[in-house]
Amino acid sequence: MANTLRPYLTCIRNTLTAAMCLQNFPCQEVERHNKPEVEFKTCKELLLNPILICRNESEKCLIESSINSLRISIKVKQADELENILAKKFLRFLSMRAESFQVLRRKPVQGYDISFLITNFHCEEMFKHRLIDFVVAFMEGIDKEISELKLSVNTRGRLVATEFLRQFT
Amino acid sequence: MAAGGVHQLAQCITCHAWNADMSMVAICPNNSEVHIYKASASPEAVWERVYVLEKHEQLVTGIDWAPKSNRIVTCSHDRNSYVWSLEDGEWQPTLVILRLNRAATSVEWGPQENKFAVGSSAKTVCVCYYEEDNNWWVSKLIRKKHHSTITSVSWHPNNVLLATTSTDSKCRIFSAFIKGVDARKDGTTAFGDVKFGEELIQLDLACGWAFGVHWSPSGNSLAYVGHDSTIHFVTDVGPTPSARSISLRHLPLRDILFLSETRLVAGGFDCNPMLFASDKTGVWEFIAFLDEVKPPAEAKSDTLFAAAKGKFKWLGSELSEENAPTTTHENCITMIRSLVPFSERNSEKSIEVFSTSGLDGRIVIWDLNNSNKGWSKQWIPPVEEAKKVLERLKSCIKPEAVEEAVEKLKSSVLPQAEEAKKTLVRLKSSVIEYVEQVPQSSELHD
Repeated sequence: MANTLRPYLTCIRNTLTAAMCLQNFPCQEVERHNKPEVEFKTCKELLLNPILICRNESEKCLIESSINSLRISIKVKQADELENILAKKFLRFLSMRAESFQVLRRKPVQGYDISFLITNFHCEEMFKHRLIDFVVAFMEGIDKEISELKLSVNTRGRLVATEFLRQFT
Repeated sequence: MAAGGVHQLAQCITCHAWNADMSMVAICPNNSEVHIYKASASPEAVWERVYVLEKHEQLVTGIDWAPKSNRIVTCSHDRNSYVWSLEDGEWQPTLVILRLNRAATSVEWGPQENKFAVGSSAKTVCVCYYEEDNNWWVSKLIRKKHHSTITSVSWHPNNVLLATTSTDSKCRIFSAFIKGVDARKDGTTAFGDVKFGEELIQLDLACGWAFGVHWSPSGNSLAYVGHDSTIHFVTDVGPTPSARSISLRHLPLRDILFLSETRLVAGGFDCNPMLFASDKTGVWEFIAFLDEVKPPAEAKSDTLFAAAKGKFKWLGSELSEENAPTTTHENCITMIRSLVPFSERNSEKSIEVFSTSGLDGRIVIWDLNNSNKGWSKQWIPPVEEAKKVLERLKSCIKPEAVEEAVEKLKSSVLPQAEEAKKTLVRLKSSVIEYVEQVPQSSELHD
C-alpha cells in the first residue's frame, strides 16, 4: 500500500514545488483590487494549464495555478458507504474551521472533497517547503484518519450488537 | 561562493535601490512605506534606518534612485508615483500626474534623469518628464500596445529607446522620444527617426509571462526572462536583431543584471543567483550558481546506525520539514542591483559587486572577487575551450599513423568497389538482354 502511495505523493510534491512560484499581482480588471486570479479566471493569460494527478479512479489531485495563486483540490479514497459518510463528515468538520488552517478553502471545488487555496501572501509569510510539506502530510494523514475512524465505528457497532443480543440468551 | 554580507532588514523586501556612492539603500518592506538605510561596507555591520518615506497608500512596487540628481522615484499599487528630493534633511515628495486607472508595477529613471518610465496594470506605459511651470511631473502614455500587465521597464543608454516586458509573454521596444525634452539629435537611433510611442520591435520568445528586461551597458544587447524557466538574449538590437534562448531545468527567474557586455547574473525562485556568460561570437551559456547549497544540519544522533540513516534520508528524493537544503536567500530573489559607485562606472569595466533582495527580507551583497572558484576571472568560453582541446588532440596524433589508417581503409574499400562495378555491368547487360526480348509495340499490334 505504502509503496504505491509514495510515488503519488512524490509526484504531487514535485508539481507543487514547480507550481508554487507566486508573486504579488494587482487586478487588471478592477481598480485597487488584489485577488486570487485562479478563483476569478477573468484573464486567460494569467492562468496556467491545470494538472491532474491520479492514483486511481477514486483518488486524484487537481492543481490549478495562476500568477498569484494556486488551488489544490483533493479527492479522498472512498471504498464503501461507510467511508463515504465518514470522509464527508470529517472533511466538512475541517472546512468549517478553515480560518485556523489559513490555506484551506471553505468550500471544495466541484467534484473534489477538499480544496486548498495558496496565495502569494502565504508564500511571503511561510516557507515554501513547509507549505508543501503541510499539504503532503495532510494527504498522507487523511487516509489514515478515515480508516481509523472506520475501525472504531465497526468495533463500537460490534460491541453494541453483542451487548444488545446478550439479553436474549 | 559565499555571500559577502547578509542583512535582514524586514519581513519581506519587494524592491531596493542604491544611491550614487552606495552609502544608502532604499527598500520597500512589502507595504506602503519606503525605508532608507545607511549602509556600510563591512559584512557584520548593522545598517541603521535613517528615513521613512510615507505617502503611498498601497504596496510600493518600484524604487529607483537617480545618481546624478539624487532623486528617488517610487511607484505603487495605489496608481500613484512620487519623485522624492532631499531638502534640508527631509525627503519631499513631488506629485506625478500619471493618469493611470490601475496599479503601477515598475519604474526606472532614464539615463539622463530628465525622464522616467512607469509600467502599469492598465496595459500602458507612462513616460514622465518635469514641467517647471506647475512644479510637477507630467506623463505621456504609450497606449494599446500591450495586451496585459507590464512587469518591467528598462531604458536604453541613449535615453530614447524603452524596453518593456509584460504578462502577455512578450518583450517590446518603444521609442520614448519627447519633443522639447530630448535634443533633436537624440531622436535618431538604430531604427532611424522615430516618433514617440512607436513600437519598434516585438519579441515573442517566451512561452510564459516575461519579466526583468535589461539592456547591456552599451545598449547593444538586451536580455529578459520568461516564467517558463527561460532566459532570452537579443543581440544587435536594431533592424536585424538576433536572439538566443536558454531553457533551464530550474525554477523560473525574476530579475537579471548585466555585469558587462559578456557576463550577466540572474536570480529568481531558486533563491540562488545564476551566472551567465557569452563568448566572442555572442553565444550565451549558463556557467554556475553563485551560492553554495549547504546540506541541512544533520540531526543529533546517538548511535552510528542512526547517523548513517540520517545521511541516507537526505539523499532520498523526499525532503521533509527539517531538512530542506539552505541557500543564503530563503525565498524568491526579487531584484538585483549593481554595487559600483556611480563615479567609477564605465562600460569597459565589469561589475564585480552586486546586491540581491529577496522575499525573505534580506539584502545580500555578492562579491565575485571573493570567489574561491576559478570561473570568476579566468573563465574560458566554451568555443575557445573546444579549440584548445582540438589542438591538443591534433598534437597527439602522429601523421604516419594517419597515413597508415588511410591506406588500410583504401585496401579494404577497393575490392568492394571492384565488385560493385562488376555487378553493375552484369545488371546492365541483363537489362539490355531483357529489353531486346520484349517485342516491339508495333509488332504487338499486328
